[in-house]
Amino acid sequence: MAPGLDKLQHIVVLMMENRSFDHMLGSLKAVDARIDGITPDLSNPDTNGNPVRAQPLAEFQAQLQPDPDHHFPAVDLQIFGGDANRVANMQGFVKSYFNQQRDVAHSQKIMYYFAQKDLPVLTTLALEFAVFNRWFASIPGPTICNRAFAHYGTSFGRVDMNLIYINEPFKSIYDRLIGANPKHTSKLYYYDTTSSTMEVTNLLEHQPELFGTYPQFLDDCAKGNLPDYSFIEPNFNDHESDSGEEVANDQHPDHNVQAGEIYIASIYNAIKRSPLWPNTALLIVYDEHGGIYDHVVPPACPPDQFTASANDTGSGRPFAFDRLGVRVPAILVSPWIPQGTVVDRVFDHASIPATVTKFFLGDYAPRSPRETNADVFLEPNSGAVDAGRNLLSLDTMRTDCPDFDV
Amino acid sequence: MNLIHVPRLPKNAFDPNRPVSALLKAQIEYLHDAERRLPLRYQSEVYINAVKTEGEAANYIREVTEAIHAAHAEARAARVKAPAKRKRVIELAPVADERAERKRVNQAKKRSRQKPLGKYGPKKKK
Repeated sequence: MAPGLDKLQHIVVLMMENRSFDHMLGSLKAVDARIDGITPDLSNPDTNGNPVRAQPLAEFQAQLQPDPDHHFPAVDLQIFGGDANRVANMQGFVKSYFNQQRDVAHSQKIMYYFAQKDLPVLTTLALEFAVFNRWFASIPGPTICNRAFAHYGTSFGRVDMNLIYINEPFKSIYDRLIGANPKHTSKLYYYDTTSSTMEVTNLLEHQPELFGTYPQFLDDCAKGNLPDYSFIEPNFNDHESDSGEEVANDQHPDHNVQAGEIYIASIYNAIKRSPLWPNTALLIVYDEHGGIYDHVVPPACPPDQFTASANDTGSGRPFAFDRLGVRVPAILVSPWIPQGTVVDRVFDHASIPATVTKFFLGDYAPRSPRETNADVFLEPNSGAVDAGRNLLSLDTMRTDCPDFDV
Repeated sequence: MNLIHVPRLPKNAFDPNRPVSALLKAQIEYLHDAERRLPLRYQSEVYINAVKTEGEAANYIREVTEAIHAAHAEARAARVKAPAKRKRVIELAPVADERAERKRVNQAKKRSRQKPLGKYGPKKKK
């Protein structure tokens, strides 16, 4: 008996940009010791060999300039610290950032994290609902490949930002849902046409009806018209609109982090005030760590069926997609989740299509090996539900969930 | 129920003259690739290598995204306007000539009302 799962009809995913777990949620270790965040002993050596501690000195904007390198070779250095034996130690962040500007003092800022009071939205949601201690980027590399895992369960062998040519029979989660019998509904909401979609341009070309805008998402929430599965993208650029200035709210450096807080709060409020609140689960996750410090070593994982050559990785070594990327913030929101839930199982972005597929479609093929092996964050409500895994575990819906004044 | 205060943004958060990031450059590349498959009348005249600021990137992204939507909308409208089926009638020669002449005149009128090739039309309000 799992009333939260019985009522679950809509899954919503919001994917933000380029911030690590420790950078955004590391402060919460001091509030709840189960949250694997910052401790006083965490440090990285700078290029003079001096230890640089993690400190709560992160700023909302203009601090991480230049944009920290988060391409494959840089992330390789961040994870392995330049160790000749290639033992992952998460000791290469300051060295990596130093490479960009050759400024010792500036390179140390990569270790800064936000104090809890600076991120009232994200930290409140993490403490009020379910926070994932072990959600990793899918690959140790940049945005485009990591977002591909959220849409397709694979990046088709790419570890860079070049165009991904889809030449394997792994459909996007959107195509699977609308092609199913009976048909399911799915929408990708981008902020507006000036921000557009970051990743799935091929879907925009062929199936623009899959897309909506953020104002449409708000309207769909208010009217109870959400599709079965929604993926929301933030505003990726500063631009003028008919409503005035639209500030980028994706939190990608050097966009203002507070703008992202307002955006997350607005989406949460819209769902909470919707008639669909009892029937909806919202996952807030970040695509990758953006080159910013995190202390948890990414684990190995079952390889994908692709291999990136040494030339493609730019690191001098091939990559078999058998190690996850750096840890990112991930929070699951639902009125059926007990306050203060902390999840220690390992997830990555392939868990998104894995979860949505299993929940709405059940068994499905073909899927990439990475997706097939990924854990799911929502249990399918068919047959016996594993109580130890079900996060929507309350018998009655909460009435004490917070509101944000946006 | 807790009401959590969320601070408002400072004025200087907005900067469309910010240099374009690697991420936006990648997005522009994707959209440029898509734009090349649009009919010519929907393609922009933007040289993407000259895009240097976030504001310039934003303008290009909007133009191509709206063009893709417009191209699909036009195709959808064309599918709806399928020609009516002709009735099977045996026509006498003068009636057939008259019908052909009417058709020629109507087609000429329609051509003169069409907008010239070029931009796909005024930008719609968001």
